[in-house]
Amino acid sequence: MKEGKDKIEEIDCMEAINGLYAYLDGEMADPGTLAKFEHHLEHCHSCYSRTQLETALGQLIKKSAKDTAPEKLQTRLKKLIQGL
Amino acid sequence: MTSTEAKTWFGQSIEGCLDSLYGLAMRLTRNAADAEDLVSESVTKAWSAIGTLEDRNRFRPWIFRILHNCYISDYRKKSVRPVAYSYDDYAEEGEEDDITSLLIKQSADFLSWWGNPEREFANKLLGKDILAAMEKLPEAFRVAVVLVNVEGLSYDEAAEVLGVPPGTIRSRMKRGRTLLQKALWEHAVDSGLISDNEMKGSKP
Repeated sequence: MKEGKDKIEEIDCMEAINGLYAYLDGEMADPGTLAKFEHHLEHCHSCYSRTQLETALGQLIKKSAKDTAPEKLQTRLKKLIQGL
Repeated sequence: MTSTEAKTWFGQSIEGCLDSLYGLAMRLTRNAADAEDLVSESVTKAWSAIGTLEDRNRFRPWIFRILHNCYISDYRKKSVRPVAYSYDDYAEEGEEDDITSLLIKQSADFLSWWGNPEREFANKLLGKDILAAMEKLPEAFRVAVVLVNVEGLSYDEAAEVLGVPPGTIRSRMKRGRTLLQKALWEHAVDSGLISDNEMKGSKP
């Protein structure tokens, strides 16, 4: 296990920051790229903190921008769909 | 499937994503009455175009696309509220290095502020402030952030909704988030959440 980890190629902070949003959005599909990114986070406090910040901010954006459709719209749509 | 069954399925599918449709409509129109009209009009159009839905598992991106198109063709022109920021909606292609540089430059101050002891206090204010900051974003970035960050669509699905390549979504997500952070930082400075000492004479 340790031997495998040692083989992970190092990336610099610029490359890590460049891939940060793809990582957070679940778009870092390549296992090799994902391993390099996570390996960097384990060793770089700055990028780790940045990832924590972006994660927290992303959760806050999600929570803040979630809406609930008003009841009158729900009623309006039920009638509309019945009449289609 | 009979037409009655199809209509029942359609109604259930709409009900299942109604909050999301209304949320997207709100972020686009920035007005509750227009958002309700936009959703209703989109549902009518979606039923008329139900034959174009090839994969029922992709109902969400399909109806989001109809709503977005409906907004562009019928509602955008009505919008009288100006965008408060002068960021260029279209300065997004081929600027990956610029965006990354801004992310790094902006990081230190924002990170320092976020991690300060007043973070809990700041957190309480941020919900409404984030909505205000989102409203100021140029539409292209605002919609990308809503589709991916709020609604959890993949870049491919968001690209399908907006009729752009997935790479454009990737770029818009970077720039949109960067602009949001800039707006939040400015708000924090203006409202005194950040002290002079924390600012250290620099801004993102």
